[in-house]
Amino acid sequence: MEKFIQFLINGIAIGSIYALMTVGYSLVYSIMNFSNFAHGGVIMLGSYFGFFAITILKAPFWLAALIAMTGTTLLAVVIERLAYDPLRRRQAPSLYYIISAMGISIFLENIVLATLGADFRNYPPLFQTSGFYIGGISIGKLDVLILVVGTISLFGLMWLIEKTKIGLAIRATSFNLRAANLMGVNTEFVIFVVFGLGGLLAGLAGVMYGLRYTVWPQMGLITNKAFVAAVFGGLGSLPGAIVGAISLGIIEAMATGYISSNLRDLIAFVLLVTILVVRPSGIMGKATEDKA
Amino acid sequence: MMLDIKNLHVHYGGIHALKGVDIQVEEGKIITIIGSNGAGKSTLLNALSGVIKCSEGTIEFLGQPLPRKPNRIVSAGISQVPEGRLIFVNLSVEENLRMGAFLRNDKAAIEEDFAKVYEIFPRLLERKDQIAGTLSGGEQQMLAMGRGLMSDPRLILLDEPSLGLAPMLVNTIFDVILDFKALGKTILLVEQNAYKALSIADYAYVLEQGKIVMEGDAPMVAKNPDIQQAYLGKRRT
Repeated sequence: MEKFIQFLINGIAIGSIYALMTVGYSLVYSIMNFSNFAHGGVIMLGSYFGFFAITILKAPFWLAALIAMTGTTLLAVVIERLAYDPLRRRQAPSLYYIISAMGISIFLENIVLATLGADFRNYPPLFQTSGFYIGGISIGKLDVLILVVGTISLFGLMWLIEKTKIGLAIRATSFNLRAANLMGVNTEFVIFVVFGLGGLLAGLAGVMYGLRYTVWPQMGLITNKAFVAAVFGGLGSLPGAIVGAISLGIIEAMATGYISSNLRDLIAFVLLVTILVVRPSGIMGKATEDKA
Repeated sequence: MMLDIKNLHVHYGGIHALKGVDIQVEEGKIITIIGSNGAGKSTLLNALSGVIKCSEGTIEFLGQPLPRKPNRIVSAGISQVPEGRLIFVNLSVEENLRMGAFLRNDKAAIEEDFAKVYEIFPRLLERKDQIAGTLSGGEQQMLAMGRGLMSDPRLILLDEPSLGLAPMLVNTIFDVILDFKALGKTILLVEQNAYKALSIADYAYVLEQGKIVMEGDAPMVAKNPDIQQAYLGKRRT
């Protein structure tokens, strides 16, 4: 039982990092109906920004996160301008966006490989000194930090989407971009905000992922997990993305704990295929159109 | 003249959809554009709303050149109730109306307009917290029209408001258009139901294959034998 609770907490912690990755992904999907595979590259660079902020600038966690988040927000917005905006002007079909996204993803990965090399880099141990003990359960300080920061950020995002005017505009645009346009919503600006928000949370996710695991140029591949989480929760649905990501984190932690860590990714992708077969719209998805 | 369209050309989807259209809209009047499917009626309204680009011609609104961006056009005082309603199905009725007032910041006046809309459409007040996707077709059309009123426009563009509605509801919708006129709104109405449109309009244009082929006071147009045969289902005697 203690073991179970231990795995559960680990699972929720890693799940909340996945959630920070997934919401950015899901927001873009909900507005523009394509899978932004460049998101992984943004997360990877966020992780490097944080790593260098801590190692070179000797920044504390909060400052490193802030630097990484600033960098990734700018990066996400620039990618939107350079890679997607020209397609939108030509009213290209969503397949073109996916190809463009993959191109950006490969470009970011290779620019890091070429300049920094293929090494895995470990963050300095900022939080691993000791944990909290409750009963027989030990919780690492880092996991507590991830849980707190993750929860605050996700609630902040939900508040923004549900309660503010720009949030209403984002929701309206995701249901019907043309109608939102007719209401006077500057949908270009909504797209800009959505990429910015996705980038902001990607930076935070990158730093926390790097702290918990490690940093390497191909780490953008973990967005495949964000994709699994988004499909699991229902593509385009924000609460779905969060629930999907945390469920995925828990399932992975259980698989690692009770079976083997080698099977972790296998289980994640078996889950993806199973959902696509059984319930293509996910837990709370908006529709079962093509999931590109 | 409130709206003055001169020599408007629009290319849309590889088609020369409007070929030099001239239309004038006088303030406080109901102007209707009738024509068959594919004549270019919706293209015209979307060009006015700025969601389709014009390739040639000029549009003046209240003596000024019409802005190009859709949000500027809404601010200038033109709103569109689009064909097929295009309501936000996952938002509540009230949130849909709030979207109509998206560009406004005058809170007190917005509340007054909410009251106006709920007075014209009591059904929407009853359902204000309901998700819009659960409304019936007629209620969705009412919501789309209420939403069009919420930007406090001077000119309302109505695109096929009676499409797909039961005959009783069609009458209700046309009564509402007269209510809008009574509120001082100017209306540009695009309709396939030419008979009903001509019965409430002041002035009418007939659009065929991207060109205006006839215009005149609505009762005159309704009496024209060619129009009666082509659009009003009457045989030549």
